[in-house]
Amino acid sequence: MPAQVFSLDRPLPEGVRDLLFADAAAWRELESTLRQTWTAWGYREIILPAFEYADTLATDVGAEIDAEMYRFFDRQGRTLALRPDMTIPTARVVGTRLYDQPLPLRIAYVGSVFRYEPPRAGRQHEFGQAGVELIGAAGREADAESVALAVAGLRAAGLPTFRITVGHVGFFRGLLNALALPEKLAGQVRRAVDRKAEAELAALLVEAGSVAPAARAALLGLPRLTGGVETFAAARPLCLNARMTNALNDMETVAELLDAYGVADVVTYDLAEVRDLDYYTGITFEGFAPGLGFNLVSGGRYDDLIGHFGPPQPAVGWALTLDRILLARELQGVIQAEPAADVLLGAATCPACLRWAAAARARGLQVEVDPLGLAPDELWRSACARGISRVVIHDRDQGLVVRNAAGQRTVVADDWEEVLRWRNR
Amino acid sequence: MAEPLTIALPKGRLTDGALALLARAGYPVPSNGDNGRKLVLEGADRRLRFIMAKPSDVPIFVEYGAADLGIAGLDVVREAERDVYEPLRLPFGYCRLVVAGKADRPDRPLRLERSPRVATKFPRLTEAFFRRRGLAPELIVMSGSVELAPLVALADLIVDLVQTGTTLRENGLTELRVVLESQAVLIANRASYRLRAGEVRALIDALAANVMSKT
Repeated sequence: MPAQVFSLDRPLPEGVRDLLFADAAAWRELESTLRQTWTAWGYREIILPAFEYADTLATDVGAEIDAEMYRFFDRQGRTLALRPDMTIPTARVVGTRLYDQPLPLRIAYVGSVFRYEPPRAGRQHEFGQAGVELIGAAGREADAESVALAVAGLRAAGLPTFRITVGHVGFFRGLLNALALPEKLAGQVRRAVDRKAEAELAALLVEAGSVAPAARAALLGLPRLTGGVETFAAARPLCLNARMTNALNDMETVAELLDAYGVADVVTYDLAEVRDLDYYTGITFEGFAPGLGFNLVSGGRYDDLIGHFGPPQPAVGWALTLDRILLARELQGVIQAEPAADVLLGAATCPACLRWAAAARARGLQVEVDPLGLAPDELWRSACARGISRVVIHDRDQGLVVRNAAGQRTVVADDWEEVLRWRNR
Repeated sequence: MAEPLTIALPKGRLTDGALALLARAGYPVPSNGDNGRKLVLEGADRRLRFIMAKPSDVPIFVEYGAADLGIAGLDVVREAERDVYEPLRLPFGYCRLVVAGKADRPDRPLRLERSPRVATKFPRLTEAFFRRRGLAPELIVMSGSVELAPLVALADLIVDLVQTGTTLRENGLTELRVVLESQAVLIANRASYRLRAGEVRALIDALAANVMSKT
């Protein structure tokens, strides 16, 4: 290869990246698979703006996300921000434009979101999110639908192994009520539960002094309330008030429904999950896959969000990170082939060839026409170099001739049955 | 047979305590003979695979799921601020992260310092400690002997780990404040905690039983 003169002095800003052909194809296929899945469940897509007023996006329910937003100014000096997720813009749309529409609303979206957070597990500052929101239905049936649809989405995405863990913030909130700890100590208990720091809980109870024995037992038992449906039986005796009992009843019903949905085999339960306690109001769930230490999908019930933008509405939904699904799939051995055309066709100036190309494309074949006027051998080398397994040229005497790794022979130009077998897919 | 659970162990001061605890809990561990240059070791009964890592790297292995579990000092875990579970405190590796200064420095509260120059291997914890007290420290992040810094006027103060205090005394330094009481902790990857719940729970329980019986 001759030395190339090119510039290395064009760095990308931190947090963004290009996706080249195979990755881009995998990305778009994943999007379209997810779209088919949610469409089959009656969800309809909306397309949201990439930026809005920062005030709109920075609701007080998402303080953590607030700190991660990309902000900038418009010409009047008003602060704008790139969307850090799609749920808040969706809630704005529902609250301000769709508030009088027949319920429930089933909304889906896909697109890039932007956050200043350290790149982790396939997620840059800009990453792809797809998600669904079921709005205007408060019940356990809606909770179960959301979880089941997440499973359906991951299955459709072709991810061989994954698991969804379902929790419920009501259980821990109820427990905190029963404990009636001073605010500072309650915060410490919550952080310890968040880190599954079982031993610390005992130490914190000592610090708390007089706590009712039942509440003490419930807190110490909490980290073990994780696993299959047997978890509910273990949790039942630890319920101290209506809030805990309701949460447990919610979970039990959701579990029964998930069984009916045929997804129980990939779902586990965790009553000690307290992530985003301030944002969620009911069930929460996260999906994990082997080899990827981070969640692929997360969601839950958030009945307090839409009220920030319009009449309050119960809502449940999830969002998954496209980048992470693709990475998890790759870790499990699903590799996207480099995309290549089915046929490289010689002679851009040959009318018979171009007619054949048009007919083949109309039948779904991917046909590249050589624009360089390469000789037959060069054409074959060019095809090999780009992973195209067949070359078709027009020979004055023989008509259309196809060449592949096995050799060269004449094709009957309108034998479409054979030609269609050339399709890669 | 299923893949073994992978546990990241810190090379150095916590190694022996970690191996001893795992052995007491019934997990065959690599003997010291194996424990030389090899960085990935298989346990004899294939229940565990061991990654021998630099201590400060243990939380990283675990957060990314390259290791399902890890043992590290609480000091390292808090400094790393990685998103991992911390199911168990372990009864070894006790030490303190302290602010220390020259023994002959004037005796006055830290909050009256101007803008102390602080040498440390723990920049995040150090920054937070001083900021909380309204001070703007000038951090000097080091990777070697931090105690040296005040002696050669590289720094006014240091923030470093202390076990007995001998090293500090021998270098004419004295302990001023405790930033963090540290000990070994078991940490777990969030995905592994769910995907391999049975094995992870068994290991936590086995270790917990030994932690209890010791104390």
